[in-house]
Amino acid sequence: MTAQAAERKALAAGLKRLNENMVTLAELSEYAIRRAVDSFTRLDAKAADEVFTLDREIYALQLEIERDCGDLIALFAPVAGDLRTITTSLKVTTDFDRVGRYAKDIAEMTLQFHGMEGSPAEELPGLPEMVEKTVAMVDRAAGAYVKRDADSVRDLATVDDEVDELHDRTFSEIVARMASGALPVEAGARCILVVRYLERIADHAVNIAERVVYMVTGERLPRIRAAERAHTGTRAGKRP
Amino acid sequence: MTAVPEPEVGPVAVEAPQSEVTVQVEDPAIESRGLTVSYGKKVAVREMSLRIPRRRVTAIIGPSGCGKSTYLRAINRMNDTIPSCRTQGELLVDGEDVYATGVDPVLLRRKVGLIFQKPNPFPKSIHENVAFGVKLHYFATKEETESVVRAALVQANLWDEVKDRLGDGALSLSGGQQQRLCIARALAVEPDVLLMDEPCSALDPIATAKIEDLIFELKKDMTIVIVTHNMQQAARVADYTAFMYLGRLVEFNRTRDLFEKPREALTENYITGRFG
Repeated sequence: MTAQAAERKALAAGLKRLNENMVTLAELSEYAIRRAVDSFTRLDAKAADEVFTLDREIYALQLEIERDCGDLIALFAPVAGDLRTITTSLKVTTDFDRVGRYAKDIAEMTLQFHGMEGSPAEELPGLPEMVEKTVAMVDRAAGAYVKRDADSVRDLATVDDEVDELHDRTFSEIVARMASGALPVEAGARCILVVRYLERIADHAVNIAERVVYMVTGERLPRIRAAERAHTGTRAGKRP
Repeated sequence: MTAVPEPEVGPVAVEAPQSEVTVQVEDPAIESRGLTVSYGKKVAVREMSLRIPRRRVTAIIGPSGCGKSTYLRAINRMNDTIPSCRTQGELLVDGEDVYATGVDPVLLRRKVGLIFQKPNPFPKSIHENVAFGVKLHYFATKEETESVVRAALVQANLWDEVKDRLGDGALSLSGGQQQRLCIARALAVEPDVLLMDEPCSALDPIATAKIEDLIFELKKDMTIVIVTHNMQQAARVADYTAFMYLGRLVEFNRTRDLFEKPREALTENYITGRFG
């Protein structure tokens, strides 16, 4: 085996390991959101504890991925698709880590409501849809990374617009219920934070999607504001 | 007159795609149009059309035997010294076809210098090496020659290391110093173009860094074309990169673009070490 072939083999092994770790990271993050929302809607302290553990695992895996990416860059000076995969992984781990942190924040909120009879989530009709859409977005972004499928996530920013609308609607519902006295101010304020965390998780899914498009095609997607998208009818992720 | 037979294609494993030009180069320093160079029946460079930007560094990369050195040597007609070598098509330097009748290769090589893979100073003194071309091309006084020698050695970042021993034999210098001496020798006749054929492959990392540093300085005034096996070197020093495979130009682009998102799968496979 030539030195070049041996080097390629070692790089390929490093990239395979990176991919496996990234898949695990994506799965852990997604599971953390689901469990966090479960814990909040059912006021389930056990599920909340599980999320805290998941958050620690996500952080540890993020550190491991960062170290591996540094090693691959230092040892092999990768270029083209290999380099895009590594730099994308480095960036995307931060997004997955943030998703894990928001899941943890939602789980912590659960503990604040400990002792209440029912979760305030039951009173918010927009919440389940928002949760489903957000989790589906993370699922799509992570799936696109795994399958190296840029086209499947080019329109993810438009789904994010829908999540933003749901956020605004749910926010208004919470404020109205707080104003009428149906929802105590402290509980309402915490609910506002939960929907805000979900909305931020959706934003991170869009970040991941943009990075995946770059990783697969080398194309850097322009940032288009939602208002502009609505005004021009521009498909998300496509140059206007 | 006997018709010249068409040269046969060399051993071809995979058909390389036709080149696609992605960058517009206005006012190129060097331009080849359908350049084909063959050694006997073996075609080394096949219908290569490329516009090389002025006062920029262009790297030519590709696996061994892809024709990159042959192409480079065709630019200042160094292939003329190989009896079986035949060149077809056009090669323009500053708009003039260097293979046109009446072109003096010696004058061409004053304008287009070539640095070889292994440093090849003459077995003469450091001073005589640099003064050689000046004496060949110009009627210069002793003072003028001194001045040119000094300027060339300064420009080649060698002056400080040799100023006190210009009379010493060039072969007493280290490999890296010898290579910079060869660059100084080329610079002394004020070329517009400097061709470099793997200039650092025989040098250690420090000597390599000095040559790369020098390339950055020189490109302010001249066009540099460098053939290299070292992909990282191409990425470091070149503004533009051409990838050749089986005698053809596969892809020519800005270096950043070529190394970040090559258009051709063949380029990607080569630069990521999947073959070569």
